[in-house]
Order: sequence, then structure tokens, then C-alpha cells
Amino acid sequence: MTYQVEQAEPYLFPGSKTGCLMVHGFTGAPNEVRPLGEHLASLGYTVLGVRLAGHGTTMQDLIRMREQDWIASVDDGYNLLQGLCDRIYILGLSLGGALTLHAASRLKVAGIVAMSAPYETPDKTISSLRPLLPLLSQVWRYRPKRKPRVPGPSGMLLNYPAMPIRSFAETDDMIQLMRASLSKVNVPALIIHSKADRSVPVDHAPRIFDELGSTEKDILILEKNGHVVTRGPGQEDVFKACEDFIQRIEGRGV
Amino acid sequence: MTIFPEGGEPFFFPGGRTGCLLIHGFTGAPNEMRLLGEHLAACGFSVLGIRLSGHGTDMTDLLRAREQDWVASVEDGYHLLRGCTDHIVVLGLSMGGVLALHAGACLPVDGVVAMSAPYRTPHPLIQHMRPALPLLSLFWRYAKKSDSDLVDEAARETHVDYEAHPLRAVAELEDLVREMQASLPDVRIPVLLIHSRGDTTVPSDHVGLITNALGSKDIETVWLQSSGHVITRDVEQDRVFKACERFIHRVLEKAS
Repeated sequence: MTYQVEQAEPYLFPGSKTGCLMVHGFTGAPNEVRPLGEHLASLGYTVLGVRLAGHGTTMQDLIRMREQDWIASVDDGYNLLQGLCDRIYILGLSLGGALTLHAASRLKVAGIVAMSAPYETPDKTISSLRPLLPLLSQVWRYRPKRKPRVPGPSGMLLNYPAMPIRSFAETDDMIQLMRASLSKVNVPALIIHSKADRSVPVDHAPRIFDELGSTEKDILILEKNGHVVTRGPGQEDVFKACEDFIQRIEGRGV
Repeated sequence: MTIFPEGGEPFFFPGGRTGCLLIHGFTGAPNEMRLLGEHLAACGFSVLGIRLSGHGTDMTDLLRAREQDWVASVEDGYHLLRGCTDHIVVLGLSMGGVLALHAGACLPVDGVVAMSAPYRTPHPLIQHMRPALPLLSLFWRYAKKSDSDLVDEAARETHVDYEAHPLRAVAELEDLVREMQASLPDVRIPVLLIHSRGDTTVPSDHVGLITNALGSKDIETVWLQSSGHVITRDVEQDRVFKACERFIHRVLEKAS
């Protein structure tokens, strides 16, 4: 008997000295970005999918977590992958994308991919309530999720059914922290977002793109993917774009 | 720059198809397991030294940690190490030893090394006060640590840990230790216990208590004489490293 939910565990696929660190999203689980990781592993890269603190277990655990715990989870994965690889790419989805962009401003990485990343908290009510959230969350603990508009293969979505209100304060802080670090990112970056994203509108992507300090940056706008661009319709386009991005940089030699 | 102060970061040394999962202790950091990890990596094993939730960063982070977060940290390390190994031995120090024994009951691993592990929280007062601790910790946040019993002075100077015990986290430690006690009969794999008679944090009679409760038939005990509690960094550390190395080789022979 393990404490973590089965199939929500972090994973490692050993491969070459080039590593890919996969970061899932808020209330999600490592499996969200696992098929993408498996694709990159099939190309020969070493792949490590982290579990963000408070995820992949029970929703109550998430309430106690703060932004620095998620940053530490990313850094855990980075440090471990460093033991296996010389060059590291970070690929993150949604909040994982925000963590990826923030990490790129602090850590030595070869390149990053931020998918469905928010430029600001999409729900304006949440951001305007930010100072009250810690108190408010004592009485209003969870906000249920809308049904996922683009479901993955049945039974494979292991994300939490609701979002802890307390955690919104942390995601809001994290996004602000990311925004302040965008100009300091100077590694090759790929931004991916779908027009059909109902959680984070597609116009967040160009706003992130414009503020990125990187001289080498690309943006890919998809048509049919949902917020979780790595699962469901159109996922192959994402896999291919990540593959091409990394192969292009790796192709130049070190 | 990662978020971790020096010594707080987890580590991974790739090697063969046998993995060693290293777990540090309460208020400690991955650094206290690193020398042992380097020794085992030199033996050809793959070595992963985890960072327990709330550790290796800022002491205030530990206030929010619960025992299940530490169990989850161990599982994280297990799953990652599983990705590149066929056999795994879990080695832990102090509370890390508690987690290693607990893992021995819950995870499909091949052996457990518990170093300086407590059978129960060493202070009877903590056990009695357990129900009151969450409330009490709102006013009395940190309990002072007694002076380190590390005999090796150089190690004492470079030791990475928090300066106090967050009282809220002590309650979690107590719960974890109880959970370990309940799981000991389910541990049926080879176990190595290493303890120093000079340990002033966890008295050496805890070894007998753990041994009696274990479900394993294969229990080996190694006694140290002069070390303190953190035996992986003290004057007899080489004996510890050698004992771990021999134990893993023996477990592997048994497993194959």
C-alpha cells in the first residue's frame, strides 16, 4: 500500500546525457505530461517527471502547500536530473509552465517549453480577493471544477475534483513571481497554447512571449487542444513541436 | 540558483541496476547522507538521496509538513529510482530510519538499513502531550535542540540542519513513529540495524525494541562505540559505510 494515488507517481526514464524535466499543473498529477515524457524518452532523452508538493495524494494535502514548496519540487527534480545529465530542458504545463519560466530565470537550462501557462490569474475575482483568501479559505475551502471539456482517455485523469481556495493565493503569488522573472529568462523558449483553452485564454501566450528576455523564442498556437494540451485531441502536435524544439537546439552541438 | 541552501539539495548518482534510496533525519538535510551515498556509488550502485518535505529549505516550511508528506517524499524517491534499477535497498538515518522501516512494510524493496532509528519518540513527555501539541505549537513554535552529539568536530562544523525542532512537526514525528511500530511485523525482508552506544539522542535500547517487533527473520545488528547520533558523519562512518555495502551485497545474493 502506497500513500500516493496509483499512476499519479513521479517517473524516470533513463537515457542520454540530455534530460527533460516534466512539470505538471495545479491540482493535476505527473501523468498529465507523462505521454509527452514517454515520447521524448523514445527519442533517447532522459526524462524525469516531478510530483509537485501536495499533488497526487489527497486534496487536503494541497491546502498546506505554499508556492515555495512547488518551487522546491521543481528544484528537487532539477538536482536529481543533474546527477544524470549535462544538459537539461524543462517542460511545464499551466502552473507547471509558470514554474518552468521562473526556473529558467534562476537555473542553468538548455531550453524551456511553457504550455498553457497563465500570464496572470485568469479569474479576476480570485486575484482581487488575494489578500482575503487565507482567511476566506477557512470557511470556503474548495471551488469545484467544471467538467473537463476535453477529457483524456477514460480513467486516466487523476487530477483533483476541486481547487482549494487557499491554494489560489499561492498560484496567484507564483504567477506574479513568474511575471517578474520573464525578462531574466535568456534561454531558447517555446510557448504553446490552444485557442480552445477554457481555463487560461489563448491571449496569455503572446503576453508571456513579448516579455520573455530570450532572443530565441517561438510561439505555437493550436486550434483543437484543451487546456491540458499534452492529452487528448491534438496532443501529437505538441509532442512533435517539443521534439523539434529540443532536436533543433541539440543539433547545434554543445 | 536553486531554492536550497548548500547541503539541502537531493542527489542522484547513476550506477548499476541495484539502487540505494537514502533518507535523512528529522530537521536534517540530504547532506548528512551524501558521504554514504558517495561510498555506495563507488561500489557501483545507483544512489538517490531524497529531500524530505519541509527540509533543506527554511525551518518555517517544516511547520506545515505532516507525516504523510514525508511518506510521500520517500515514495517519490522510490518511484524515480525504480525507473533505472531492478533491486532497491532503503537506508535511513534516525527518522529516516523510521521511514525506511515503514517503507520496508509498504513498498516492494529488497532490504532496509535503519541507522540510529527510534522505536518511539525518546521523550516520554512528547508521547503524553501528543494530543495537545497542535494547539500548544501555536504559542510555543520551536523547541530548543540539545547540543549536537557529533564526536567528529569537522563534521559538526559542516553539519546542515535546522537550529530547532518545530513543535508542530514533533507531533507528526510521534505519529509517524507509531505508524512504524504498527508496520514492523509486516517487514519481512532483511534488515540491518546500526546504532552507537554513544547516541545521546536515541538510546541504544531502542534497537532491541525494534528487533523484537520486526517480522523479519534476517536481522543483523552492528554496534558502534564512540559515535554520536549522526553515525553517517561521525568518527566511525567508515564502519557504517562498509556494513551497508556488505549488507546490500548479501541481500542481492539472497534475492537472485
